[in-house]
Amino acid sequence: MNENRRQILEMLAAGKITADEAERLISAVEKEPSNGASEANGSDPRPKTKPKYVRVVVDDSGKGTGATKVNIRVPMQLLRSGVKLAALIPKAAQAHVNDALHEHGVQLDLSQIKPENLEELVDQLDELTVDVDDKDVKVRIFCE
Amino acid sequence: MIPYSAAIRIRNERSHRTQRWIIPFWLAGLLLLPAALLLLPLIILVCAIARINPFPILHAFWQIFVALKGTVVEVDDAHCFVSVEVS
Repeated sequence: MNENRRQILEMLAAGKITADEAERLISAVEKEPSNGASEANGSDPRPKTKPKYVRVVVDDSGKGTGATKVNIRVPMQLLRSGVKLAALIPKAAQAHVNDALHEHGVQLDLSQIKPENLEELVDQLDELTVDVDDKDVKVRIFCE
Repeated sequence: MIPYSAAIRIRNERSHRTQRWIIPFWLAGLLLLPAALLLLPLIILVCAIARINPFPILHAFWQIFVALKGTVVEVDDAHCFVSVEVS
């Protein structure tokens, strides 16, 4: 007999709830036995799996030119490897790139971007979901 | 694990059959090896002038190559279909 059922029966014995209410409460508790057990154990019932791929799906109905479908799947590891490559940009080249960015109105300083920051950004991409639903075009970007 | 091959499928509106090519990367590397050997002195010279350590860059490119496994790019048009899958 778990703790929830004991509390319900104690409330029934104390006259705080009726028999019908106790029955409903017990049914509700018994419907979610796994969540209760996991909470009692203090562990996450479903370990979240890290996504491995970034998917880009474009579906263009294109009434004039014909339907076009694009399906791209990129491994997350590729993004991480690209981040590491960007971190190898020499400082002299970073200065040139920063100047070029500033000329085009992009206030970005490459020297301030640390590899660990980009790694964290890539790790947070698993929450990314982009849905664009136009009249003729549907675009979906998500991680799986 | 490193990717072994790239599978390319092409179908155009002329032929309804899908052409499928499988390109093993070891063969592509073997074919590109002479060109790489010819360019090696030039690369070393450029790195020496620019004061760049080439080994971290090569390591980064190698990691990118290894990470390509599982990449899929498919474009399905009204006129043609192209698919590239790295496995």
